[in-house]
Amino acid sequence: MSRPFPYTYVSCPCADTPVPDPARKRRSRESPQKQTPERTEAAKEVDIPKPQQTDDENGQTDDEEQTFDPRSPRSNFSLYPPEQLLYCEDCHQIKCSRCITEEIVSWYCPNCLFETPSSMVKTDGNRCGRNCFNCPSCTAPLAVSTIENVTGNGAQQGPWVLSCGYCMWTTLDIGIKFDKPTNIRNQLQKMTDATAQPAFDTRSRQGSRAFGDLKSPLSTLTSVADGQAAARDGGEGQSASNEDTPENTLSNTDSRFAALKSFYRTQISETSNSPNDPMGSDFGFSSPGALNRLMSLYASSSRLSGLYGGNKKSKSKPPVMREALNASEGLRIAPEDEENAVIERLASEGGWDSVASIEQRSQQSPEVRFVDELLPLPVLLRTKRAKRCKSCKHILVKPETKPQSTRFRIRLIALSYIPLPTLRPLTLPSSSSSAPSTPSPDLNALSPLRPVHVLLTLKNHMFDPVRITLATPSVTPGRVASKVTVLCPQFDIGANSDVWDEALQGASAPITGDPRLTGLRGHEKTPEAGKVWDKGRNWTTVVLEVIPGTLPGSEADTSNIGNESGDDKAVSGSTQDQDVLEIPVFVHMEWDAEAQLEQQNVGKASKPDDLVARELAYWMVLGVGKIQASL
Amino acid sequence: MATLKPPPAQHRSSSSSHTSTGPPKAPLKADPSSTIADTAVFQGTYPVTIGANTIIHPRARFYAYEGPIYVGDGCIISEKATIGAAPSKSRSRSRSPSPSPSQSGESTPTDNQPQPTQELTTRLSYFVIIGPQATVLPGAHIHSSTHVEALCIIHRRADVGSHVKICSGCEVPESGNVPEWIVVWGSGLGQRRRRVRDAKMPGLAVMVASLAAQNPVPGAAPEGKVIEDARLMVLQKEREALARMIVPAGAGKKK
Repeated sequence: MSRPFPYTYVSCPCADTPVPDPARKRRSRESPQKQTPERTEAAKEVDIPKPQQTDDENGQTDDEEQTFDPRSPRSNFSLYPPEQLLYCEDCHQIKCSRCITEEIVSWYCPNCLFETPSSMVKTDGNRCGRNCFNCPSCTAPLAVSTIENVTGNGAQQGPWVLSCGYCMWTTLDIGIKFDKPTNIRNQLQKMTDATAQPAFDTRSRQGSRAFGDLKSPLSTLTSVADGQAAARDGGEGQSASNEDTPENTLSNTDSRFAALKSFYRTQISETSNSPNDPMGSDFGFSSPGALNRLMSLYASSSRLSGLYGGNKKSKSKPPVMREALNASEGLRIAPEDEENAVIERLASEGGWDSVASIEQRSQQSPEVRFVDELLPLPVLLRTKRAKRCKSCKHILVKPETKPQSTRFRIRLIALSYIPLPTLRPLTLPSSSSSAPSTPSPDLNALSPLRPVHVLLTLKNHMFDPVRITLATPSVTPGRVASKVTVLCPQFDIGANSDVWDEALQGASAPITGDPRLTGLRGHEKTPEAGKVWDKGRNWTTVVLEVIPGTLPGSEADTSNIGNESGDDKAVSGSTQDQDVLEIPVFVHMEWDAEAQLEQQNVGKASKPDDLVARELAYWMVLGVGKIQASL
Repeated sequence: MATLKPPPAQHRSSSSSHTSTGPPKAPLKADPSSTIADTAVFQGTYPVTIGANTIIHPRARFYAYEGPIYVGDGCIISEKATIGAAPSKSRSRSRSPSPSPSQSGESTPTDNQPQPTQELTTRLSYFVIIGPQATVLPGAHIHSSTHVEALCIIHRRADVGSHVKICSGCEVPESGNVPEWIVVWGSGLGQRRRRVRDAKMPGLAVMVASLAAQNPVPGAAPEGKVIEDARLMVLQKEREALARMIVPAGAGKKK
């Protein structure tokens, strides 16, 4: 995997297979809740072990038969770094990015940090409608600057340009200057966009609508009234604009698209069986009216019309839709010498440097081929998103709406609920009697069959002390069988109390806290079974002893355990990354939490009334290192 | 210029940075109106010439081992910029992405006796800005009003035209030629022609749109050269301000 060794991943239970029925029943019996569908949803996601088995270290063997295999293809989709996970307080489940739904709280421009109302997002084409632009040449942000003020005579006047501080591109490169330093998007649109002109030029002649109001072709999409008006006016519009016969009026792709759209909308409304039906013009082909019209169209054009032509004629024959015929309707016939002109231009000026690159063209209108046709790009908007649990629809993350604020109203990250696992190799200060491990084992080249001690630290972020049970298969799954032993599989982690509490209780508190540790403080520590390695205010460290297996095909393979790995070879097929030593560890944690309202009656009998025993269990994967091929 | 500074002659840079047994100190010929920080390094055997009103920031390094260095008027050499190349030992250590065994071989045997056969003159014309940690290797010729940004490398014998901008991190290859009014940007050797010199008619899209809207066609934009003029004017001011900042610090030996 991509992370450097050692790493830890936590598995989101959502990828697992559903739990068989008994578990679900037991679960629902334990904590009957109002929302039973959620409960079944939650119980479907495996790993809620039964409280009767909490003392059982290998609780997972009862709950589900197979251990988690970090090498299986499925686990690619369930392993996450712990800091990327969320936690749903209602489902009591870890939630990964696949068990949540996102919804957009607000749109904002990352450049000016102004929020765009959701109604404006579409009409603005998901881009900032104000003064924020990116350089079309190098994508750096553009600055609005005046070109008259160079002598520094105070008054900010004169033409304004957008200029790139990085590549020195300015709008003067494309021969554009602005009259005002504000609302540049509109000014630019007026200058460059002939959009929606053909459809509306009759009306602009009538003076009913100012040209500047028309922002983009999308604006006609959004309002139904506009669409209907366009459809109605379209008839006159055609004839009126036919008189102009502007050869190159519609050289812009956007405007051609708008013209075609309004033309076909007109056609549909004209040829529709029931022209007064608003469905015909509003919903286009997807509406039942349009479908009827199409069906009758086919019927009339088939041979039936020849046979029963008289009958058809007597009914009102559905008029046939025609195609766009002239430029004002959006038709564009490719000029003959277009290619030649392009080639000539390539040869005469600039050459390679004058041609826009693919990256530049991908952001521009499809007709742009040369650098001096590039238009400044309004900055793309960004969103703030709230995240909900997919099963119970509770909000897990909700940022503040204001773009300037980086705070969150709700943020249930998993690390507030599960202990943060960290892994590091154990380095013994002096050559102790027991440990043959080198002072600092190279994790990228672990030698096979040589025991390595790694320290697993679990840090609790909850305000309640937690009891942890770790379980791991004694032999890692996969081709390379490494033996793993958790020296102290069961331990407690202190609460994440106030740091000052500990300090005020006296400096000796952490040392005398655990009688087992006080003995170890004096001389050098050795990994010992059944004892925690170290312990702090809200963290506990235990030792894992790992004996890396031998890679199949290596020299060590021919030694004593050759047959063993031979068996593994038959079992697993994948050979990629087989030298990566990953240990699946099942973590089961239980703690007493303050009961929420709905759960007060369900508390365990042995507990006080306001406390409820909680538990959570999940798999995590410890990436220890890579196993060397040879001894 | 606020103060007429005496040419930072031998006593300053030699006493501050080098002992007599250290590397040879380049003979420095600086204009009295130039401002040179006292931690600037001048090494080598060939002369280094600094033009009027030029500003050398602290810790800029001049290595005149392979040929003389001429810096024109009104230049700014920023901090840690390197003009020239250190003798081959340190050069192989610090940089030299350019495979130039022949040139490096010249000065390899003895640093104090450069081969007179081929001396590489490094020349910076007037109003050149060299950014922080940029490297201009021997033999490069940088023409007037060119801006070399931070971390750029101008390789040997490159010729960079006037009014060029080399964006930060870019390189000009060995013996490379950058015509004037070019912006070199992106990573590596990407180039872009800068077209701002003349007045330019509005683009096709603008014309078409105005035709369609039956508005008067907008007139030609002002000459793109005004942007460059503005930049040079700003450069002038920056230089004046810098001179005021660096002189007291150099005088007080604070910086």
